[in-house]
Amino acid sequence: MITKEFVFTKTFTISEKVYSNFLETFQDHNPLHTNKEFATSHGFEGIVMHGNILNGIISYFIGECLPMKNVIIHMQTIKFLNPVYLNDDVTLVAEVEDIYESVNSIAFKFYFNNQSGKKVAKGTVQIGLLK
Amino acid sequence: MTKEEVLAQVNNIFNDVLDEPVVLNYDSSASTIDEWDSLTHIQLVVAIEKHFKQKFTSAEIQSWKNVGEMCDSLVKKVA
Repeated sequence: MITKEFVFTKTFTISEKVYSNFLETFQDHNPLHTNKEFATSHGFEGIVMHGNILNGIISYFIGECLPMKNVIIHMQTIKFLNPVYLNDDVTLVAEVEDIYESVNSIAFKFYFNNQSGKKVAKGTVQIGLLK
Repeated sequence: MTKEEVLAQVNNIFNDVLDEPVVLNYDSSASTIDEWDSLTHIQLVVAIEKHFKQKFTSAEIQSWKNVGEMCDSLVKKVA
């Protein structure tokens, strides 16, 4: 069982493969994500990665990185604070916010930093433990 | 905190979690509120524990027959 001291950290590269698979799967070809000129004309350094790629990382964290597999995500929130660009390294830091033994639920809070140490997103995810 | 005050605060939590207005009374239960299903039950308990800064046990929760009994538990805890 996880305790309140549990902390998880892992770095992920938002690679061409991750980006192209997301594009192919979900078909969000908004120019912010696909057109460098469009993105730079709006003040970004390049095409901006889809924020929901980070939600995919949260799915991986919950599904694969906890010490138990009997988990289901009940609720998730995320705020995108700064853009993530192609080939950025984002580091997920997740820790237990609270444990609700009464309903077999655990709430985590998390954030992502980029390779410069800038926070690019933060949020919460609440899971249930399947009986 | 009185039972009536607890009920009023619990009602606000229900409105927020269920995302629509409900009028609770002491006899309210999952069988009288359509939106109160197994998943929202978890969200309700978590929100109530957070709001009142109290923890329940699963045995306590299972012993409640209605909102009134939940309010009785809360009144004792926050006293």
